[in-house]
Amino acid sequence: MEPAHIDRTVMPEAATLEAETSTSPARDRRRPFAVRSLAPYGYISPTMLLIFVLLVIPIAMVVSYSFQDNVIVEKNPVFAGLANYTEVLTDPVFWTAIKNTFLFITLSTIAHLVLGLAFAMMLNTGLLGGVTKAIFRIVYILPWLFTIAVVAVIWRLMLDPFGVVNYILTTLGVLQTEVNWLASPSTALWALTFINIWSGYPFFMISLLAGLQGISSDLYEAAAVDGANSIKQFFNITIPQLKPVLISMAVLDLIWTSQQFALIWLTTGGGPLNVTEMLSTYTYKQAFSSYEFATASASAVIILLLTMILAFFYVRQLRER
Amino acid sequence: MNGGSTRVPSRMKRLLGVVTAALLAVGAVGCGTGTGEESTGSQQEGGTVELEFAQWWAPELPDGSFQELMTQFESQNPNIKVKLLSGPYASTKQQLVSGAASKTLPDVVGLDGAWVNDFAKQGALTDLSALMAEAKYDESQLASQIKVDDKTYMIPVVNFVYPLFVNEDMLSKANVKAAPTNRTEFLDAAKKISALGGNVKGWALPLDTAVPNGIQNDVMSWLWASGGTMLTPDGKPNLTSPPVKSTVEYVKSLNDADVIAPGSLTMKEQDKVEKFTAEQIGMMIDSLAHINLIKKNNPDLNFTVAPIPAEDSFTGKRGLPYASWGIGIADSTEHKAEAFKLVEFLMSQQANSELSTLANGFPGNNTAEPDFSKSDPLFKTAFDIYKEGYPANEFVGLPKSEELMRTFDEQLQLVLTGKQSVDEALNKTQESWASVI
Amino acid sequence: MQRRRLSTKIGVIVGLCIGAVFAGFPVVWMLSTSLKPNSEVFQVPPRLITENLSFDAYWKILTDPTQLRFFLNSYIVALWVTALTLLAGILAGYGFSRYEFRLKRFINVAIVSVQAVPPITGVIPYFGLVVALGLYNTYGGLVLTHMVFTLPYAIIMTTAYFNTLPRELDESVKVDGGSGWTALWRILVPISVPGLIAVGVYTFMISWNEYLFALTLTRTDDMRTVPIGIQLLMGQHSYEWNQMMAMSILGSIPVLILFLLFQRRFIGGLTSGAVKN
Repeated sequence: MEPAHIDRTVMPEAATLEAETSTSPARDRRRPFAVRSLAPYGYISPTMLLIFVLLVIPIAMVVSYSFQDNVIVEKNPVFAGLANYTEVLTDPVFWTAIKNTFLFITLSTIAHLVLGLAFAMMLNTGLLGGVTKAIFRIVYILPWLFTIAVVAVIWRLMLDPFGVVNYILTTLGVLQTEVNWLASPSTALWALTFINIWSGYPFFMISLLAGLQGISSDLYEAAAVDGANSIKQFFNITIPQLKPVLISMAVLDLIWTSQQFALIWLTTGGGPLNVTEMLSTYTYKQAFSSYEFATASASAVIILLLTMILAFFYVRQLRER
Repeated sequence: MNGGSTRVPSRMKRLLGVVTAALLAVGAVGCGTGTGEESTGSQQEGGTVELEFAQWWAPELPDGSFQELMTQFESQNPNIKVKLLSGPYASTKQQLVSGAASKTLPDVVGLDGAWVNDFAKQGALTDLSALMAEAKYDESQLASQIKVDDKTYMIPVVNFVYPLFVNEDMLSKANVKAAPTNRTEFLDAAKKISALGGNVKGWALPLDTAVPNGIQNDVMSWLWASGGTMLTPDGKPNLTSPPVKSTVEYVKSLNDADVIAPGSLTMKEQDKVEKFTAEQIGMMIDSLAHINLIKKNNPDLNFTVAPIPAEDSFTGKRGLPYASWGIGIADSTEHKAEAFKLVEFLMSQQANSELSTLANGFPGNNTAEPDFSKSDPLFKTAFDIYKEGYPANEFVGLPKSEELMRTFDEQLQLVLTGKQSVDEALNKTQESWASVI
Repeated sequence: MQRRRLSTKIGVIVGLCIGAVFAGFPVVWMLSTSLKPNSEVFQVPPRLITENLSFDAYWKILTDPTQLRFFLNSYIVALWVTALTLLAGILAGYGFSRYEFRLKRFINVAIVSVQAVPPITGVIPYFGLVVALGLYNTYGGLVLTHMVFTLPYAIIMTTAYFNTLPRELDESVKVDGGSGWTALWRILVPISVPGLIAVGVYTFMISWNEYLFALTLTRTDDMRTVPIGIQLLMGQHSYEWNQMMAMSILGSIPVLILFLLFQRRFIGGLTSGAVKN
């Protein structure tokens, strides 16, 4: 197995990239033979092999499906050009799914960011004892411990018209009558987003907590000497220091949230009236219930291209760091 | 990697060439390290054949009872072993779709009538007519066969009817003398039950679009019960006909009268049963298979089953919706003869009646009788209802039936939320169905 | 000043408590449901503590060999995924951190963008591929699949971590006649333990809770993992509420313990990997 060889063949256009890649003259001088050495390929070969076989191949297959006339179902599919793409792009439900996905992922990410930061900062204050903080940290991490199927089921149970959430809200007088959180077209998307916020913020919180602990206390002390109050400290020290983490976490979260499938499928299934239809559920329905594997593949490729835009920002962000 | 995905097909070919080479290499590694496993039934030493049998039945039956039946089969056929692949209904379906797509279906598969057409068209199922002819099997003992283009692809092993379940205590509390027999009486009873207050409603209508079976079980059942049909005699959709319209209008009238439990639009079948069990609804249309479950979860519930109410003036035979546990054989199996032995066994008088008794369903073999002495008295009541009418489920054997149900479901949801009229919904559904069937 | 400090402290505690209700209430409800008989799950009004409190659901799961097998499978899969992800991640991280080579940047970008590939994209061909490789319904299939999703993050983390370690460290080994390989395992890895623990805990959690592929790629009970075991308790017709919840609680314990054991290092490891340059 020669990974280097495969790499070059699969990614022919990369040759252009490579010209500008052989940078870092300082390092090159120090390690004159490193560029020619096979060692680095050896180090990355397990990863490359895995990703190539289990990711590049399936994606290549999906792409080829997307250009054929109903693959899999028909024994002899024929080349169909862009017909599947036209079909997907002219389907109003697809555009609804785009809109919902957009709302879902941006709201989730913003909330994850705000909640994660708020919780992380509260857990990071010097005001509380270590044990108290440890206990709160565990409570706050809880949503992360459950598999998504369970998250879906417990929230379905709690958000039932006669479930505990409605019971508490009506008893407290916040609501006059029970609300069908997940079943009424006006609330379903918000309820779903709320569930996703609940299940997704802990990783944010932990990463930001790590970030906060990485900020040197000298900065704050110096600011305190200059007479900056805590609000000023927050905007002048905390936020700028956390910025790289905040941005890459946010982009990563946008990507992860856009991939969310099981949660939606097990709570609303994309209903009612398509208000929670997302790109993932749309694709799944095309494949597993309409048996339109070709349009499903076309839709999958479109999703892939859209997420690649996010990936672009993510990569750029990482590189800046 | 995104490089590959934006290329045009000509470059794709080259890429796939490399891909294939790498695949072979990795495949060799995989086998070399012994992680490989035969994915279809395999010939073992001593001439024993192992059949894989994927179904969702075992988890639905009393613990271990289906395995016991398989052990019986194995002792009758010492050279065949059965390996059960059991999972829940929805994931069984997903696995079969994936398996059919990659030609790796298990040898024997449990099927729902709604799936058959698609699998058959895909060439994933074998033609049972041919196997039956080869084995000189007496077809007359089969209560029904599901055919696509005149070839049998599925044999229903156990049939479950969907009668009306009524909570008798609630009926009498609401001053309703007997289970409603026609639509007017049903609406009236539902209103009275809903008037009991608390969180109680008359009926439940699960319309979740992830598994849109509610259309078949809870909506179309009203049509079939009045002898109606949603198809023309030559099998084309006929949704704009007066019987369908009156059915949908009736469901809408139930909704308008506020007698349907809240949350319909994303309610799943399980929720409906939970609500009936927890006495939050007084009536539901449901599978007979649930009797045991309901009694287990609420032993004090006083309920019975009745025919589904028909149109007021209707006097003919009533169609009773049903669902089946069907069986089929994969086209890709190397052990068709052995697989058919298993089908024969499950359809045999003795095993079939045993299985249907366990499952609270009706046997797929004409000569088999469920053992009423061992089963719930309600089961006998339902059997009488069944004999009075005829089994009706027009979705069985239709192509993309789940998609058909979903389209109908989405349009119905628009009607129930007041976003369009019944006529508009039916016209749109008709149009969409016509393009599929 | 003292007063302001106190009021901030009260504010923080109140805020923390509100947050704790948000975070913890669903879990409390899960616990409560796991201790109820199924018939009381939909009782109106809902109750936190039932009179018929029982541990039957837990007992049923802990005495059922099939359910225990799900736990065993989850351990096997998650531990393998963690070990192999760490191994491959360390190697790749070292490669990226210490060497220049053709296509480095491109490959790095490719690996990073793997995280953006929506799993739903590939379910159909992926299934066929796994079958073709003979990995369907095997631990190997699950382990390798999970690795596709855990590796990119692991590589980003290890690369960042190794980048923080001065090159002089490995040079010193080379001066003594050692290779890059010895430098990696003798010097870099031991120093990086906190960061590696963070990666390991993260990987374990992802693998332990992964649902979509665990569902698609297994078909017999002797290969299924805990999330699928929970899913199996949702039948076609009914939910075994209490057992489902009990199993969720039991299933979350290993992850919780892992977090408790390593929380300081976990957070510390994230810090040095994710924040510093």
